Amino acid sequence: MNAQQLGDSVKQQFGDKVVELSALGPNQLCLTITPDSLVSVAEYLNKDLGCRFVINSGTDRRRQRGKFLITHFFAHDEEKIYITLHTEVGEDQPEVDSITPSVPAANWSERETRDMVGVVPVGHPDPRRLVVADDWPEDVFPLRWDVPHDLKPPPAEGVAMPLLDPPEGASVVPIGPYFPVLEEPEYFRVFVEGEEVVGADYRGFYNHRGIEKLGSSALTYNQVPFIAERICGICGFVHSCSYCQAVERAAGIEVPPRGEYIRTIMLELERIHSHLLWLGIAGHIIGFDTILMQVWRMREPLMWLCERISGNRKTYGMNLVGGVRRDIEPEIHDDVRRVLTDIERQWQELYNAIPGDTTLMARLQGTGILPTEVARARGAVGPTARGSGLPIDVRVDHPYAAYDRLDVKKRVYDGCDNLARTLVRLDETLDSINIIRQALREMPEGEIMAQIDEEIPAGQQAVGSVEAPRGEVFHWVLTGPENRPERWRVRAPTYANLQSVPPMLQGDALADVPIDIGSIDPCFACTDRMEVVDVSSGQVRVYTQDELLNKKY
Amino acid sequence: MTFAINIGMALFIGPLVAGIVRKMVRARVHSRQGPPIIQPFYDLFKLLGKEDLESSPSLLLRYAPLVAFAAILAAALLTPMGLRPPLGGYGDMIVFAYLITIAAVAVMMAGLICASPYSMVGASRELMMHLVVEPVLIICLVTATIKSGSLLMWDMAGWNYVNGLSISMVVAGIALFLALQAQVGKLPFDIPEAETEIMGGPFIELSGPKLALFQWAFFARQIVYASVLAAIFIPWGIKFIFPWNVAAHLLKIIVLIVLVGLIDVVNPRLKINQAMKYFFGVIAVALIAMVLALLGL
Repeated sequence: MNAQQLGDSVKQQFGDKVVELSALGPNQLCLTITPDSLVSVAEYLNKDLGCRFVINSGTDRRRQRGKFLITHFFAHDEEKIYITLHTEVGEDQPEVDSITPSVPAANWSERETRDMVGVVPVGHPDPRRLVVADDWPEDVFPLRWDVPHDLKPPPAEGVAMPLLDPPEGASVVPIGPYFPVLEEPEYFRVFVEGEEVVGADYRGFYNHRGIEKLGSSALTYNQVPFIAERICGICGFVHSCSYCQAVERAAGIEVPPRGEYIRTIMLELERIHSHLLWLGIAGHIIGFDTILMQVWRMREPLMWLCERISGNRKTYGMNLVGGVRRDIEPEIHDDVRRVLTDIERQWQELYNAIPGDTTLMARLQGTGILPTEVARARGAVGPTARGSGLPIDVRVDHPYAAYDRLDVKKRVYDGCDNLARTLVRLDETLDSINIIRQALREMPEGEIMAQIDEEIPAGQQAVGSVEAPRGEVFHWVLTGPENRPERWRVRAPTYANLQSVPPMLQGDALADVPIDIGSIDPCFACTDRMEVVDVSSGQVRVYTQDELLNKKY
Repeated sequence: MTFAINIGMALFIGPLVAGIVRKMVRARVHSRQGPPIIQPFYDLFKLLGKEDLESSPSLLLRYAPLVAFAAILAAALLTPMGLRPPLGGYGDMIVFAYLITIAAVAVMMAGLICASPYSMVGASRELMMHLVVEPVLIICLVTATIKSGSLLMWDMAGWNYVNGLSISMVVAGIALFLALQAQVGKLPFDIPEAETEIMGGPFIELSGPKLALFQWAFFARQIVYASVLAAIFIPWGIKFIFPWNVAAHLLKIIVLIVLVGLIDVVNPRLKINQAMKYFFGVIAVALIAMVLALLGL
């Protein structure tokens, strides 16, 4: 089945409720439907066709059409199709039926759309605000075109998000807003009876940076990749890659094969370092600092390698619309292989040691259970989904870059616990090493960047997605005038996975909570370079790797 | 002079051995350089010099660190450390067990008085751990009492030395060694403090001199527990001539504490229910030792 056929079957089912139908190649389907049929079409896609809900998005199109565009995204992973489901609602009555009662995975994103664009999901079971700050005014919606990107409403005192109260007899243990092992601000309000967890509520988005707004109001197409890469401090390359792919598809730009291979290699290098980083943190969370120290030592040469290739340990800044800015020169290939061989050998030692470590197994096995059905309903992605027996992997399901020419395996475990998620990541680390080797071998010669002569036309739209270390990164771009996107929608994998955490905590011991939360690999920010400021002169000096290693400071 | 030796062992060898373990064991296994060996002293003196904040108006919180510190020092004076303990004639193993419990109760008090959910959880975990770990120590000492016919720890050590190895004493020694890890609060049993779960548990609200006193008491506690095991159940060297008996004792407790440090560094933290299950097993081993002693083995 391709996108056109899928569209036809929806058309057949719903007749003239489908206002417009177009297929963008075999893998992307755009449907526009009438607002009153939204719930039934969403239910049909999700329940009958088994499509996974990805995200929804609101676009303020009052200037062009006097309406708000509400878009729900679904993915049909088996048929390799992304479905874009548009609905338009008038500005006089900005309301749309909530699909959350039948598609629970839409819970957060519908609330986000209400916060950002002001279109109310009618019938939403949990209508609290989600994304904006507690003291943000009720009638200002940041993503509307007439709200400036640098608006600073006056701060208010004494406002707080209404959090759920604990059930009878339970007490509250706060995990956050700042908790030592979860380096980012996020607040889990955990309800416990004794040591057993009986429920949880979540408040996040303390650090919302308004990046989508910047992308559609202040930046140009080729500036966005650099901001996109800064969405995450660990897996930033996936965001710039995903964004570039969306723009390239929308504008019909062909990336030269060598550029695609370089993107693939960088993505896999990023996956290796991210999984190793996670393994270290997971060890630290359960009190096993030896794993943290050893794994991070193992990871360090990879960071130096990335610095040689891109100039940076992290945040490579290599992506542009149309290709990449830096080549991986043949003289670096041997170094890449050497670093990979070292990591592979040490990884093997680690992998062999884990099953024999009974205390480690006692902490991982049978804790943080996320049943397959719950994972599917909550829209989990990446290792979180694959550890719960859901065989989804964007690299195979929706191939991008050079993955259609490389051997990628889906690593699926059906243990549904912290151990399964750990094993998925361990296997993938080794897979990534082999993928990079194959890519280096098969990489063709040639250009790394496409020639773009014409302006990118307005009004085009496309989806770009990448399998990040944490799961599917999803970007959607609606091209606009003035050399910038009209709307750029981003969904990081943790957005989907975090919604799976409260059911994971249920019934576990309090001691399991940090590793449960850690097991989805929530995105951690990090700094990577020591900077010394001379207080008297105010001069900043950055040390090089050699100086740090040889203690020349 | 025995006063000076026991107090010196507890107050100065304690932090020093902890520093050695951090630098030579923990950092080595981590592939790190590690802090200087006397870093624990730097830490203690830094904390002692800080402002003494009152995080609760309760007097209990003010005195809990002092009580813990004093109780451990008193216990140190009852413990044979190569020589006859200075207060050995004034208190037996029952007094010793009470003093150790007083220190644990002081930790729980400090945790319960600070109105933080983390310290509450930490205090309740401390209580549960104490309830399963303390019986092991008492049963093992009772075993030694049955064998030696005395409640004084110095007599137990002497009896074991004179009469040589007996099955019940060896089994009791093993049981006590299995409990040592938890007695000194090391992984996989640092559950009441659990930095990455409850951020230090009972100590989360403590800082400055209060925290320093608790930490110093815990450094001393390592020496006291290791000394009980070393002196009574591994009595090699107690009849050496001074100062060789003290040196032999020092060697034994350093080996024990380094072993504890090694186990600490290669294990993740267990959960409280998993630890309880483990200690029910250890208590069973200790009981077997006691039954063997009653049978005269």
